Amino acid sequence: MITDSERDTVYTNLCHTMTRIGETQAPLFLARFALLAIEAIGDAAVAERLIAEARRALPETPPADAGEPAGR
Amino acid sequence: MGIAFKPYPFVAERHAAQLPACHEGIDARRHRVAIVGGGPVGLAVALGLANQGIASVLLEADDSVCYGSRAICISRRSLEIIERLGALEGFLRVGLPWTGGRSFYRDDEVLHFTMPQDENQKLPPMVNLAQYHIEQFLLDAAKQRADLIEIRWQTKVAEVIEQPDGVRLKLGTPLGDYALDADWVVACDGGRSTVREALGLSLKGTSYEGRYVIVDIALDSDRPTERLAYFDPASNPGSTVLVHKQPDNVWRIDYQLRDGEDAETAVKPENVIPRVQSLLDMMGERGEWAPIWITVYKANALTLERYRHGRVLFCGDAAHLVPIFGVRGANSGIDDADNLAWKLAFVMRGLASDTLLDSYSDERVFATHENLRYGTKSTEFMAPPSFAFELMRKAVLTLAVEHPALRSLINPRQTSAIEYSASPLNAASDTFQAGPAPGAVLAECPLTLAGRRGDARGGHLTDLVTPRFTAFCFVDGGEPDPSLVTLEQRLRQAGLPFDLVVLDKQQPESHERRGGADPTGRLFAMYGARAGTVYLVRPDGHVLGRWHDACATDLEAALTHALQARIPSDLQEHA
Repeated sequence: MITDSERDTVYTNLCHTMTRIGETQAPLFLARFALLAIEAIGDAAVAERLIAEARRALPETPPADAGEPAGR
Repeated sequence: MGIAFKPYPFVAERHAAQLPACHEGIDARRHRVAIVGGGPVGLAVALGLANQGIASVLLEADDSVCYGSRAICISRRSLEIIERLGALEGFLRVGLPWTGGRSFYRDDEVLHFTMPQDENQKLPPMVNLAQYHIEQFLLDAAKQRADLIEIRWQTKVAEVIEQPDGVRLKLGTPLGDYALDADWVVACDGGRSTVREALGLSLKGTSYEGRYVIVDIALDSDRPTERLAYFDPASNPGSTVLVHKQPDNVWRIDYQLRDGEDAETAVKPENVIPRVQSLLDMMGERGEWAPIWITVYKANALTLERYRHGRVLFCGDAAHLVPIFGVRGANSGIDDADNLAWKLAFVMRGLASDTLLDSYSDERVFATHENLRYGTKSTEFMAPPSFAFELMRKAVLTLAVEHPALRSLINPRQTSAIEYSASPLNAASDTFQAGPAPGAVLAECPLTLAGRRGDARGGHLTDLVTPRFTAFCFVDGGEPDPSLVTLEQRLRQAGLPFDLVVLDKQQPESHERRGGADPTGRLFAMYGARAGTVYLVRPDGHVLGRWHDACATDLEAALTHALQARIPSDLQEHA
């Protein structure tokens, strides 16, 4: 388990790191962090649960450029 | 424009149209099977039927084998099938074998993958050759079977009329139009299938937006054959580029168009040449080169819901379109042909119930879904369908060098044999510690092939697979169970193509029957077998059932279940 003080430190480090990287590259940083975190967690079910929890309360925007179903 | 194209180093023979003797505008001869489309799949169906003694007429709209850049990779599973079709020699003589590939992100190698290849294998995991080669070798084999395969060139299907006991095709040729009646029609007429359209059927699924330019070039280079993928290379920033070597110094280059790029402009030679040049510069290829062929490609993941519609059966691209990434197009079509040919022949010869053809649809629709599952993953990596796929891909590519576990996400997931694990044909079988389960194809293994006169030579297990049901009987210095020998006689009397093949742990002095020896015990171990074990294998090389201490009733029940037909219980009935 991580202590309150450790959590504070890690949280602040995450914010400082992204600030230095800049807003445009922050999504890539978070994507890389997510991939490494998935490997560190080492449990697909936990990773899936975290994805579901992280997306909760975030509205979906319709995909503009996703592959669309086509009947041909 | 001053840009000189070279022709392919292949000259296709042109074939004249011909009209059959007709009676009131209808071919005077009724045909048992009409195959529409003379591509790799149609030719494979014709050859597969010929192996079963069934005659067919093959209708091809064009006057020659294909032109242009199409299928270029043939898998080991396809080669196994092609060997049974009698066309392997050309594929191995001309095709370039390869076992793996490399992926690069900018300047870094981020993946070096290899396909399954070990000392047990007879055939390479993949060979590269152009589709005109593929078609030519199959056509050459078909010409050897002219007694059973009639090819009509420059013959286009105009109309398909379903009848209670067959199908009437209305055909157009440069010499005039006529109609033709057939008991069965096999539609192998490609992605824009006329037969499919005529029956009012449509493919369903996903079309991807990402577009690739496909360029074949002539380039003299001794670089080894492997799949090369460049993500965001210095030569084409932001793009993805694939490179494949083909025979005769032809190189296939696929590169992704950027969003918003106009495809018509992009395929103009003056826009293609500089991109290819900068790629070759980056690769260190300094040789003279010239373009041969340029086209544009969009990935599709589409399929019919069923591949059997009454007396019309769909194979290959006419039935499904799978993305090119992972090379499942021609390979899945050849697998379709192999699955269908024996089933159609068995039904036509009264050896199986008509429902066997529904299992063709069940098994191959399942295979398409498997192929699409892998093909879609490949496509989503090669042509990201949204910003999120692109973002995550970049995350993977930038981490892969230092984090090898992530490299599996870059792997192109090349085609592999599909296991019909839930096939309705699979027989109730025993539990095994090892070996292919019912529905799977045989795992290759070297063994000693026994000759009739006691002579022995090195070979492989798949050398013993013929287009029949084959019972592989594992023995330890003896003969198979006498009840199996009786069953073999009975099945043959009934006209059912069936072989007992003995796999002996000991090297026999001589053998009455076809078989092999496994003195090293490798085959026994690989198949979890002991003396008395039988693997019953279908004419297409998939395992139907397997048993320890097998007896004739096990095999008979399996065959009866698969064919949904009663096997005569004594010789009298068919004497």
